[in-house]
Amino acid sequence: MTSPTLTVAASTHNAKKIYGKDDSAVYALNDVSVDFYSGQFTAIMGPSGSGKSTLMHCIAGLDELTEGSAIIDGEDLSKMSDKHLTELRRVKIGFIFQSFNLVPTLTADENIRLPLLLGNSKGNEEWIQRVINTVHLQDRLTHRPSELSGGQQQRVAVARALASEPRIIFADEPTGNLDSTTGGEILSFMRMAVDELDQTIVMVTHDPVAASYADRIIFLADGKIAGEMTEPTPEKVLDRMKSLGN
Amino acid sequence: MFRISLKSILGRKARLVLTSLAVILGTAFLSGTSIFSATLDRTFNNLFQDVFANIDGYVRSTEVVEGDFGLIERQRIPSELVDKVRAVPGVADAVPDIQAFARIIGKDGKPIGSEGAGPPTFGSVAVEFKGALWTIADGKFPIGPNEVALDESSAKKAGYIVGDTVKIVAQAGSREFKMVGIASYGDVRSPGGATFALFDVPTAAEFLGKPGYVDAILVVGDGSRTDEALAEDIDNIFDPASKIETLTGAEITKETQDEIGQALSFFSIFLTIFSVIALGVGSFVIYNVFSISAAQRQRENALLRALGASRSQVTRSMLIESVVVGLFGSTVGFIGGMGISKLLGVALPALGIDLPSGGLVVTQSAIITTILVGLIVTVLSAILPARRAGKVPPLAAMRATALETNTTSKKQLFIGLGFIAAGIAIVAAVVGGADTNLLGFGIVGVFVGTIVTGPNIARPVALFLGRPAAALRGVTGSMARQNAARNPKRTSRTSSPVLIGVALVTAVSALAASINGQISDIFTEQFKGDYAISTSAQGFGGLSPNLAVDISEIPGVKNATGIGTALAKIDGKGRTLTVISPDTIEGNYDIGLINAEYKSLDKDGIFISQSLAERDDLKVGSVIPVTLGDAVTRDLTVRALYEFDDLAGNRVISRKTFAGTTVSSFDFGVYVNLEDGADSTKVRASLQKAVDEYGQGKLLSRDEYIDEQAGQVNQLLGLIYGLLVLSVLIAIVGIIITLLLSVFERQRELGLLRAVGMTRTQVRTTVRWESVITSLLGAVTGIILGIGLGWVIVFALKDQGLTSFQIPIGTTIFIMVMSFLVGIIAAIYPAWRATKVDILSALNTN
Repeated sequence: MTSPTLTVAASTHNAKKIYGKDDSAVYALNDVSVDFYSGQFTAIMGPSGSGKSTLMHCIAGLDELTEGSAIIDGEDLSKMSDKHLTELRRVKIGFIFQSFNLVPTLTADENIRLPLLLGNSKGNEEWIQRVINTVHLQDRLTHRPSELSGGQQQRVAVARALASEPRIIFADEPTGNLDSTTGGEILSFMRMAVDELDQTIVMVTHDPVAASYADRIIFLADGKIAGEMTEPTPEKVLDRMKSLGN
Repeated sequence: MFRISLKSILGRKARLVLTSLAVILGTAFLSGTSIFSATLDRTFNNLFQDVFANIDGYVRSTEVVEGDFGLIERQRIPSELVDKVRAVPGVADAVPDIQAFARIIGKDGKPIGSEGAGPPTFGSVAVEFKGALWTIADGKFPIGPNEVALDESSAKKAGYIVGDTVKIVAQAGSREFKMVGIASYGDVRSPGGATFALFDVPTAAEFLGKPGYVDAILVVGDGSRTDEALAEDIDNIFDPASKIETLTGAEITKETQDEIGQALSFFSIFLTIFSVIALGVGSFVIYNVFSISAAQRQRENALLRALGASRSQVTRSMLIESVVVGLFGSTVGFIGGMGISKLLGVALPALGIDLPSGGLVVTQSAIITTILVGLIVTVLSAILPARRAGKVPPLAAMRATALETNTTSKKQLFIGLGFIAAGIAIVAAVVGGADTNLLGFGIVGVFVGTIVTGPNIARPVALFLGRPAAALRGVTGSMARQNAARNPKRTSRTSSPVLIGVALVTAVSALAASINGQISDIFTEQFKGDYAISTSAQGFGGLSPNLAVDISEIPGVKNATGIGTALAKIDGKGRTLTVISPDTIEGNYDIGLINAEYKSLDKDGIFISQSLAERDDLKVGSVIPVTLGDAVTRDLTVRALYEFDDLAGNRVISRKTFAGTTVSSFDFGVYVNLEDGADSTKVRASLQKAVDEYGQGKLLSRDEYIDEQAGQVNQLLGLIYGLLVLSVLIAIVGIIITLLLSVFERQRELGLLRAVGMTRTQVRTTVRWESVITSLLGAVTGIILGIGLGWVIVFALKDQGLTSFQIPIGTTIFIMVMSFLVGIIAAIYPAWRATKVDILSALNTN
């Protein structure tokens, strides 16, 4: 299934995340090796406790693997200091969380540029304007998060994730807190980011509809890869999920 | 419900500790100062109990002249009375006692003990006697005009051993003695840090006081009758008109203890004021912590309400928490207070105030007072937040975010402005001529108003103060600025301790600066000489009157004049008179005589100030009966009026008035005028030599002297520094607590920021700048209030002769720098905590 023309943006090799010791040891990730390709929208799915969020956190440099390695853009995260990891997250990674994505004291514009501002970098202004236009935020830039609707807030989060032209964007249940119409809107924007802006997105979700926006789905169960799917539809995903015992 | 609140407290130990911290600090000061006062009190009581242990009777004059500031001068009694007392049946032995100013000069030529501040320096009598106050620890008792004994700690301090030659300065001048013994007072080496030079009776009488006179007679009975009966028998031998009384040993012990107690009570009042300020300011911190904690628990409380708890149950639960916090905090505070008391005991000697050492006195009442006060303050501070907690709608449990309301109330703004306006109106009315006593209300009005409007001021001012941070630090600075402004109520409450502390310090500094400026003006106007010899010993002792005489002899000196004080009774009231030498004062010192010459002040004359003349309707030629320290009443005729009463006071007499009597008088300053064309370097050297010979006083040029006199106000600086340290401490604790709670509250935000690439250093910067902005907010408001307050105080003292108001620019800059540092120091721990926020758990908290 792996197309030879694709390049790997991020990957894990024999990734293990173990909580506790000996008898009481729990394997959140048990020997997971996976590649995420540039220019693709990948979804990670699985039932609760399958380790999907843990996998994402470990690749994104938010959590540490117990064994194995996580690699982004050729760099092994396990060998990095906190400072180096922080810089990597700022420069090479974009994040979209389920909720509380924005800093309440900053305007929408400042929130979008936050990673750049933190790195004292101006960024590519033309790109930033394009991103802002893509998510239709032109006339909301001076507003603070409390003055924006939930959907608008998530759009700001999407724009922020894109603003620094990261190598890869991680989204953790980005539509979990939104109604289906607004959620669909956000997913369309993410789709657009991949198709039109040539971005790489990895999204954790348990919603088959959300997952169907992806190019490829990785299924996880009990900390292990339980298969994958390309060209998904909601129905196909739902069937597969049922077989995983969701 | 009670169990729920207990569980909630124990479930959040960290918050309990934080909340208690404010209580601990306030009560620690309270108990520390009260333990310290009690300890001092008992130490001195024990000391005098020991010293007078063997004394059965104490004979002295009843004639007392009281001066200003509680100075008293008791008339001496003739020394021949000693033999008469000794002859009374039942008296085993009686010896005279003399105690007066004397100063031991160290090997380096400098006097031992600090001048002015600190324990007094005495000369006294040491003789072989059963009831002797002094016993000899090494060597022998001094006998004859050339021998002296020193108290043990002075001898040790100066490094003198038996056989050394020691120079002593007293009223009669400076003399050298052979040291023959080292003496102990009771069982301490030196009482209360005072220094003692001890002589035999005739030497003491002649050198320290007046030949043929003694201060008192110490009596030891033979045990045949009670102390009371003995005292009565002794009293009976005196003519009732001779004004002599006999006290029992118990009475003199009690009297001495009471006197010391009174002197110490001033000190404890001073300390108590400090602890009240500490507790008052601390209550802001307590209030703030409860408010924040109520806000952070809004959802929890709403849930309780939704599940059926009543409003009052929720409120009560918070009050129960405040009781626990109050009890816990004040108990720990009390223990901390013992530490503070120990610290004071160590710190004061380091500042030159020597104290006898002794174990801490922890009274039951100190424990009860501390805990009760701590508890009451805590519960009172918690009432408003607790009521607010009860008002939370059950629906809040369902809301996603539950934070303290950020809106500032218009009503509050108007109430605050109303207070400020009323306060200013009162001050304005007083300036316009209303009763000065109203000023207090004006000040309170402005203070209360400022605190009430605090939340409304906080946002714009914090945003303004945060500009440099935002400009310098980019997004981190800008976030710090927004964080400081995002919850104006909290920010203003946090900065309140800084505000109050800074306002007090600024006001006192403004007062000091104004007095300083004024004194310097006065001396520039009145002091006309080229040099001055000054001593900071005020009221007790001073420069020997012979110094001025000796200095006049130095070649190149045109004249030198000494100015001193004497206590007198006029119309039954104690007064301090200024004593001058009319022959030499001309051209040296100017009191602004009106159409008269100094020479007109003769033995039977007095000069009075113009203001006194107006007040008492006196004029040149009026006769004033003046009773000096020798109990003799002299009718003095007013020879002239003078203008400058700021230094000379209302009455000036000549030294000749009491020449040859037992009246003691020291000079507080000697003023020197040089011959025209004299080589000032050479003369200064000779002057210095003469001063060194007396071992006392400081030789200063005109400018140096004026600076030094003005600088005396710097004693106020002690007060300023005390206030400063106190407010800085509380402010730091207050900011730490608020920041910690804010960091806790903003965990998710911090997690997000860290996730999208904020480094730990940047996190620290953000917290630090928020802290600095909060601290500066308090400082800026405090300085404005403080300058206003200082102006009002200076205005209120207009009648005391204070006319010029000066803004303490140096102190103001210092305070701004300090508040900056306070912000940075307070942020250290919260900033560190903020960097420890775990990204994942922060993001996953709902």
